[in-house]
Amino acid sequence: MTPEEEESDGGETASRRWFPPPPSIVWALAIAVVILIVYVASDVAVLFIFSATLAYVLNPLVRMAEGFTIRRDLAVTAIYLAIVVVLFAAAFLLLPRLSAEIDNLSSGSFTQQLDQAVDKLHREIIAEYPAAERILGVPEARNERLSALIERQTANLPNLLTHMVSIVVVIVLIPVFSYFLLRDSRKIVRLLLDRLPAVHIETSVAVWCEIDRIIGRYIRGLALDGLAIGTIAATGLWALGVNYPLLLGAFSGMANVVPYLGPFLSGTVVSVIAMIQFQSLAPLAKVLLLYLGIKFCDITMISPITVGGSVHLHPILLVASLLIGGHAFGLIGMIVAVPTVTTLQEVARLLLEHRRGRAGIRLPHHGRALPLQTYVC
Amino acid sequence: MKWHWRQWATDAEQLRRLHLFGNVPLFSGLNRHQLGKLLVKFFEKRYPAGETIFREGDPGKALFVVLEGKVSIVRTADGAEKLLAVLAPGAYFGELALIDDQPRFAGARADEDTVLLILYKSHFDDLIEGQKALAIHVMENLLKTLAGYVRAEQSRGALRAAKTAAVSIAEPGAAAERTRR
Repeated sequence: MTPEEEESDGGETASRRWFPPPPSIVWALAIAVVILIVYVASDVAVLFIFSATLAYVLNPLVRMAEGFTIRRDLAVTAIYLAIVVVLFAAAFLLLPRLSAEIDNLSSGSFTQQLDQAVDKLHREIIAEYPAAERILGVPEARNERLSALIERQTANLPNLLTHMVSIVVVIVLIPVFSYFLLRDSRKIVRLLLDRLPAVHIETSVAVWCEIDRIIGRYIRGLALDGLAIGTIAATGLWALGVNYPLLLGAFSGMANVVPYLGPFLSGTVVSVIAMIQFQSLAPLAKVLLLYLGIKFCDITMISPITVGGSVHLHPILLVASLLIGGHAFGLIGMIVAVPTVTTLQEVARLLLEHRRGRAGIRLPHHGRALPLQTYVC
Repeated sequence: MKWHWRQWATDAEQLRRLHLFGNVPLFSGLNRHQLGKLLVKFFEKRYPAGETIFREGDPGKALFVVLEGKVSIVRTADGAEKLLAVLAPGAYFGELALIDDQPRFAGARADEDTVLLILYKSHFDDLIEGQKALAIHVMENLLKTLAGYVRAEQSRGALRAAKTAAVSIAEPGAAAERTRR
């Protein structure tokens, strides 16, 4: 074959390949439209993501009730009523203590306390290691820098208050949305299934099942992980005598949802609080050790049990997805980045497997084919 | 009039499916509680008459249980379609997909308007992880079914061998020719 013939043949093959089947174009367009909507109306998307997350966390309870042939709507209503009762009981028991902790934190003395604490620590470090003065500078110059920083941050407070209104609206809307999602999810799935062409249903729904399995496990795992971390952190902080153990424990549990950055953030916040309270290096070191210990337990014991093998992402891909998610959608983007990328990876794997299956290529299990038995008795 | 709270709280559709599951041989021996746990893992789908459920050679991903209607299991050999079985409510098919995702040996088609309950392998894998006793029971029933297929095939093979032997005694030349072929 001459190079010209090869080129023309290659060009013909390429031109054939450049026309994807119409369903692929429709799917690609649909995905593009969804991404555009999510990007433009990110507030609504956030609301939907949180509602769906709550529905996912509660779905196993509804399924359990359905297993006992209890009506779905009744089961969902009963679960929501139970949650309301538990929340009211918790509020009744914990709210006085929590509000006292919040009041104390938000009082005007906080900045003064912080200033004093940093000042004392600064002097302690310089007294212990005089050479550090060259790096840290004199305490007076640092105080000016700190005051300027606090002034800049407090100037944004009116903006924060307007955000509070939308936060309250979202907090009210999330349970309402998730209630209806949970109640009607079986009907929605049935409607979608009946619309899907029968020939493609096995692979399409197998992909959905896999997505459902990954997301469900990931969210439930994260919730359990957060609960465990929050409880351990609150207990540890209480044992070390740090102020506001409940509030800081709850914050640590919630921050844990953001991989890598969450524990760092909660550790930093707790360290600042401990620094203000003790104004000494030794207790601060204890708090840092506690958070390192919690992270170690989380990586080695808690997370493998709770989140388990639901996320099979390469560490580089995981960090990259976090960065891209954070850049595009902020904190929410960071939270949803990992399950989204895991889901995409799993969908690609299943579709590739399906294509191989249709082409008659079978992969041996775990790298080697099982030996065939020569007789059956 | 007396108010029956239990009847009011019960999902009649779910109860009907649960009764049907009690009669499916693959789920025999499971108690009501286990059947309930299994049932919530199934999807429901309607197929109009004549629609293909899956084709021969498709990768198997799910087990199907007939809830309503009739399903034909067909296999194409030498260009002609051969009917292997007609399944009524309570029957199941595609069970080998719970073991692996090898291509389907035969195709399935809805003969009339049919409602199927579908269990995907990934959901069954969830059961294996979370509900070991239930999954072992289903697997045991599946193995019994497979053992039945193997025995039936063995007895058919033995019958064929006996026929060949009988022919070779009656016509030694013809039997040798058949063996060579």
